[in-house]
Amino acid sequence: MKALLLRLEPVIWLLFGAGIMVGTLLLPGYLLTVALGAPLGLLPAHALSYERAHMLAAHPLGRLVLLAVIALPLWKGAHHTRALCVDLLGHGSDALVGSLLYAIALAGSIAGIAAVLTI
Amino acid sequence: MARPANPHAMAPARPGATRTAPPQIPDDFWSQPRMRTYLLFDATGIVYLLVGLVALRVAWALAAGPEAWRALLHGFSNPLYLLFHAVALAASLFVGVRFFRLFPKAQPAHIGPAKPPPQPVLHAMLYAAWAGVTLALLAILGGVWP
Amino acid sequence: MADEKLRTFVITRFDPDRDQVPKTQSYRVPCRPDWKVLDALNFIKDEIDPTLSHRWSCRMAVCGSCGMNVNGEPKLTCKTALDDYGDTVEIAPLSNFPIIRDLVIEMDGFLEKFQKVKPWVIVAKERAAEEGTYRQTPEQLAAFKQFSMCINCMLCYAACPVVSQEPDFLGPAAIALGHRYNMDSRDEGQPERNRVFRGEGTVFSCSYANECSEVCPKNVDPAAAVNQAKLNAVIDWATSFVVRREG
Repeated sequence: MKALLLRLEPVIWLLFGAGIMVGTLLLPGYLLTVALGAPLGLLPAHALSYERAHMLAAHPLGRLVLLAVIALPLWKGAHHTRALCVDLLGHGSDALVGSLLYAIALAGSIAGIAAVLTI
Repeated sequence: MARPANPHAMAPARPGATRTAPPQIPDDFWSQPRMRTYLLFDATGIVYLLVGLVALRVAWALAAGPEAWRALLHGFSNPLYLLFHAVALAASLFVGVRFFRLFPKAQPAHIGPAKPPPQPVLHAMLYAAWAGVTLALLAILGGVWP
Repeated sequence: MADEKLRTFVITRFDPDRDQVPKTQSYRVPCRPDWKVLDALNFIKDEIDPTLSHRWSCRMAVCGSCGMNVNGEPKLTCKTALDDYGDTVEIAPLSNFPIIRDLVIEMDGFLEKFQKVKPWVIVAKERAAEEGTYRQTPEQLAAFKQFSMCINCMLCYAACPVVSQEPDFLGPAAIALGHRYNMDSRDEGQPERNRVFRGEGTVFSCSYANECSEVCPKNVDPAAAVNQAKLNAVIDWATSFVVRREG
């Protein structure tokens, strides 16, 4: 497992890099509106009504952005959580912890692709 | 003052002529302010994992229909969800500031013929992109356009 | 003398012939105003306790010998002024290294990592004398010059949280030096060095804590080198699928 992780490091790092860059760029806008603005009633009524939200998300660009918000933070999160575990727990469990975290990120990304295609 | 560290840290492949004491680190190695900030930075990974998984619910609700969407937004108005998303917002800002500071110097002087912009220019471009993307999302998701 | 200040130094002692584990010993030293930590250590060895062992050489922060933990932070003791500290100063050997004796650490682990990155100009064909010297523009030099300034003092290894937890990790100075050669226009060894960078002790273990650059006394900025090396290693890995090459 350790050897497999070592071979995949370049791919993992690229996904992590995309995650931290694109994920961080997108998150404030998404969180301020979908996660906080709409539930708190701070947005105009029509802004994230189902009709409009669905229209935006069904657009090819919308699907891509929604997928980016789902998948990219998962890879940044998995990579940094793995680093935190090495810092706090040492390297002994790194192969197991890393594999588990990247598996979650992969599963979430695949689920995200499937979800975004069904909108 | 000092405590034993990982006993294998910086160990040579072949042992030296005399018995060595295992490596040490200061008692405050992990609790120094700069190290605490770095550990917090790594800890935002947990928040990002959860944010991505919660965003999956957004996609599922949009695919399911108006009732599911209404239920989702109602669920998001729960104080625990609001707290989580507020923490996520703080985390994304903290990550952005630290990452944008460290990103420019991580660019090699050149890759083949391509050269990155000077570091201060690159730093400013990152913040401009951040502001631009955020404003665009606020406008689109906030109902201004389309 | 009137301007001398009496300070207490709490110093790690370890004699492999006598001690099971390191312990500390306190010394009271009359310190002159302009003294560095190294001056106090030499005073202790010369005037108080000749059994104290510590490394030092140039006294001017170019040889890299005198690295130690001063109040828990990796410092060059020849460059660290006592006036920056209070009445009590703790001196310990550099973090993360096995301890040979007192303040002297085992360096061989570092030298092994150092050799792994092949820190020399690698060319496929040796240049004939008649061809003259290599020529390099100031811009080509600027691509790597900063990373050539390392004095191998190993403060970065003492500061790095990954070195502390991952014994295989090549570490800041070794990767910075390998990257220095990868960015040298004379060098043709990038594929083999990047294979080392992706192998055991991989550069990707670095989590960009930036501690190495914070403690570096020569402004080498090893964190920049390591993270530049990551990008170069990924590009090398990607192109290795497209371009067949030797070595």
